[in-house]
Amino acid sequence: MVPQKSLIANGNDAVAQAIVDIGYDGEGYYPITPSSDAGERVSEALAAGKTDINFVIGTSELAVAGIITGMAVAGGRAVDVTSANGLLLKMEELPCISGLGLPLVMNIATRDVSGPLNIKNGHSDLAAVLGVGWLIFLAPTVQATYDLNLIALKAAEAVSLPAFVAYDGFHTSHGVRRINVFANQEDARAFVGKKPEMLNLLDVHHPHTFGPYMNDDLINTKVQLDAKMRKAYELLPGIFKEFEELTGRHYSFVESYGSENPDAVLVALNSAGEAAKVAVDDMIADGKKVRVVIPTVLRPYPNDEFVDAVKGAKTIVVAERVSQYGAGNYLANELGASLQRIGSKSTILSRVYGIGGLNYLPEDGVHMLTTALAYPNVSEEEKKIHAYHGAWPGDPSYKPLPTIQPLTAEETTLNAGEERVNLRKLAEMPTRIEKHSACPGCGIFTNLNLFLRGIDGHVVLLFNTGCGMVVTTGYPLTSFKVPYFHNLFHNGSSTATGVVEMYHRFKKQGKIKDDITFIVVSGDGGDDIGMDQVIGSALRNDPFIMLEYDNKGYMNTGGQLCYTGFKGQRNSNAPIGPALRGKKTHHKDVIEILRGTECSYLFQAAESNARDMIAKARKAQATVRAGGFAFGKVFSVCPLNWGADEAKGNEIVEKVVDACMHPLYEIEHGVTRLSYDPEERGKKIPVSDAFRVMGRAFGHLLKPDNADLLQEVQDEVDRRWERLKAMSAAEIL
Amino acid sequence: MSYQLPAIDRLGFCNVFLSAIGGDGANMSAKLLFKIAVTELDLDGAYDAKYGSEKKGTATDVSLRLCYKGTAVRTSGPTTTPHILAIFRPGLIETLQLNRGLQANATVIVNTTQTPDEIRDRLKMHSGRIVCVDAETIAEETGSRLNMPMMALICRALRFPQEQVEAVIAKTWPYAKDANLGAFKAAYDGVNEKEFAPRADYPLLPPALVARGQIGYLNMLNGGAIDAMTHSTVNRNNQVAGYGFVPTFDPSACTGCAVCMTVCSDPGGIVWKDGKVIGLDYAFCKGCMRCVEVCPQTKKGKALNRPEIAQVA
Repeated sequence: MVPQKSLIANGNDAVAQAIVDIGYDGEGYYPITPSSDAGERVSEALAAGKTDINFVIGTSELAVAGIITGMAVAGGRAVDVTSANGLLLKMEELPCISGLGLPLVMNIATRDVSGPLNIKNGHSDLAAVLGVGWLIFLAPTVQATYDLNLIALKAAEAVSLPAFVAYDGFHTSHGVRRINVFANQEDARAFVGKKPEMLNLLDVHHPHTFGPYMNDDLINTKVQLDAKMRKAYELLPGIFKEFEELTGRHYSFVESYGSENPDAVLVALNSAGEAAKVAVDDMIADGKKVRVVIPTVLRPYPNDEFVDAVKGAKTIVVAERVSQYGAGNYLANELGASLQRIGSKSTILSRVYGIGGLNYLPEDGVHMLTTALAYPNVSEEEKKIHAYHGAWPGDPSYKPLPTIQPLTAEETTLNAGEERVNLRKLAEMPTRIEKHSACPGCGIFTNLNLFLRGIDGHVVLLFNTGCGMVVTTGYPLTSFKVPYFHNLFHNGSSTATGVVEMYHRFKKQGKIKDDITFIVVSGDGGDDIGMDQVIGSALRNDPFIMLEYDNKGYMNTGGQLCYTGFKGQRNSNAPIGPALRGKKTHHKDVIEILRGTECSYLFQAAESNARDMIAKARKAQATVRAGGFAFGKVFSVCPLNWGADEAKGNEIVEKVVDACMHPLYEIEHGVTRLSYDPEERGKKIPVSDAFRVMGRAFGHLLKPDNADLLQEVQDEVDRRWERLKAMSAAEIL
Repeated sequence: MSYQLPAIDRLGFCNVFLSAIGGDGANMSAKLLFKIAVTELDLDGAYDAKYGSEKKGTATDVSLRLCYKGTAVRTSGPTTTPHILAIFRPGLIETLQLNRGLQANATVIVNTTQTPDEIRDRLKMHSGRIVCVDAETIAEETGSRLNMPMMALICRALRFPQEQVEAVIAKTWPYAKDANLGAFKAAYDGVNEKEFAPRADYPLLPPALVARGQIGYLNMLNGGAIDAMTHSTVNRNNQVAGYGFVPTFDPSACTGCAVCMTVCSDPGGIVWKDGKVIGLDYAFCKGCMRCVEVCPQTKKGKALNRPEIAQVA
């Protein structure tokens, strides 16, 4: 045994602790609920100088998958943490990493992937990657999340395959527990061992070609991959044993808990398995013979251990937080095949439970095991081989009356066509979005409602994932009085392209008479991960408006860094500490990126200049009516994650505009025009005056220690401003 | 063992449930309580908060389940059967049916100016102790936060040794030490508490069930779509979640400049007629005071002003 120390941690903290203890060379990071804070904890350790890991924040999950692959092929030990949509966006890279034989560890804080969006626990992400050739470890507790991170890397490097460690989103990722960790990092590192020598891209003295083009030979790589899985199966008992000798903590392929010769067995993954132990205790106390079986390793699939754990039981319930819809379930099918091979006569019941974060309580375990014991003398519903546990039918007689009437084109066409923007008149225009649950003082809906006052007639809104959609459409209520669609985080622009193509097709065919304006709303994060798709829409000059509310961060996931953020900005994954001073690079300029597409209309607007924003909305609408693409960025405050005064939003925006940190201008097919020149009006202020009111995410930039950083931001803002003025002055630029 | 948990359930846990709204600091205080339990008293247990995309101002809860070391910690998620219930916002008592699942002889700590008798009737509590404290005023007067006086009284209900607790508080927030410890002391001094014997018409209730709406798999629209005409948020009262501080409106000072409309984050709540504001629909208002900041000064003062006191309980 080597010394252990107690730590208060949730699952994400445990992952971060393991990453620091192992001493990885690199981590690729992209925020996604519920795994985001695992990376944040690592960045905090980095800022505090407790690790020297190369921590790279990518522009998307797929980008990050590329980053860690690059780290691994260059001989680095690399790690990643993700969930749900993030994992699926990486999908293309996953079989590539295993096929190329790159050992790295990817943590999955499991979460449902779905439409409509849900951010809570489910295993649909995990199920999607069962066949990508990675080792898969399941961590039912916070303790196991830490432990299996070490075990997974050791196993992965022993067989040159990547490994997932999956722990339950929220249940485990956010549940805080007392755990034990290695007291000395050297002991953790000694257990993992030195990274084995591998072929290395950086070896210029002995060059290799990695990732060749391969035809018929590909099948041989698959045989190799399968052999590595078998090798892992052989090695893992030894690795588990070694770990137990060092820590006293026992792991095996499959954990069995309960009666020796059970009549009924419940197979449950991760946190549900832990809760089911309480059910098993209660039922055994009640004289029943029951057992719960919780797999620790899913790939390589531990066939014999699984069979040993369940065989002999009359009925086996395989509970899964995912479904295959119209087919038997993943693990139920696999286990059924295993039992069929030994001629078992056990009945396997497949139960889908805990979808979308529904809790799995001991009562649920009792229910499933009681059903198994009584089977087939159970209700018709429970007789089903594949059934859903925890769903409800609803009341078909429920017919609520309308509480709103659809907006007419007339009532939303006030002051349109008149030269002067008449705010008083526009104030009577009905809002298209009403009663959202955003934080007090949030800038998003100030911007949207203001912008929408410049849009007349019918509107269809499409939102990228972000605070804006989360706080408006919590089922079963919606804050939208107009048609609305949320698809994914990054592809609102592509989705809108599809929608407007059909709109114009049906209009041409005479099937639609209404004049409709389509507006895509995205946060600045959506235009990081979806930049390529926005560029695509701009290049095609698709006739819709895209509006970005830029609040300088991934605020919906907890204030992580967005490329739009200012250099030195404090983010939850770019903290301030002795070894790190917030965001390392200057703010992204999305309008200038899109300038090169030569699309019809680009603009920046701000709530501080309300009439200007409304005028730009009108111009954007005129642009799409004429068949072109319009993209605008509005500056949006986030009092919550900036730590700013929620009453001061308008003043903050005004200062940011006057400091030229968000210049108001427009580009009409290449011709740049400033809409507001604070310098000319004698109102230009230094960036420090804006930072002073922007809250604690920026306040540290005013400290003497950061004078150099502040100056850098000032210089960059001034440089861009001077260039913009020059462009505005000369049409040809 | 010197320290004894005040109560434990059949699985060996003392359950503490904190009901609050986002921004109250319930999460932070429970995190610290768990730290004290583990590092100072060598207890084990679990700390699970409600997470998701809920924003500041919406209802949230935190569960702390404490046990002696060696007890298996297996379940995750909230406790449904609290021994100690801390209510940061009494407005939540009725909306969340906070009496459900409450143990017999529970301790209920409430941030309120009401009396224990009044709270007992609102809560319909079976039996136990109700501890009322004006935590909001204490926080204001001591320059601390709402969660400090609440935490002080949870510690007291848990019988955590006062000295150890205060040492951890002082160490955790060295710069706010005086304010926080001042809030602790004021909370101890300012309690209004009473013990209640069981009452037959206030029975013990089973835990709240998972909310299951009238829409289920039989009648959900294709793909989970929402009918905007029948399921609009328009009838929702956003103020339930708010802090009760909303702007006051003086129509005589309104010039109809409409600047409030341009800064409001939910401007449907500013009611217009004939080029003037005729009033605010407070069901929209979260009290950010953005409108107050921009409302122009006239001879009659400003039309929109910060309120002296909370408008809604």
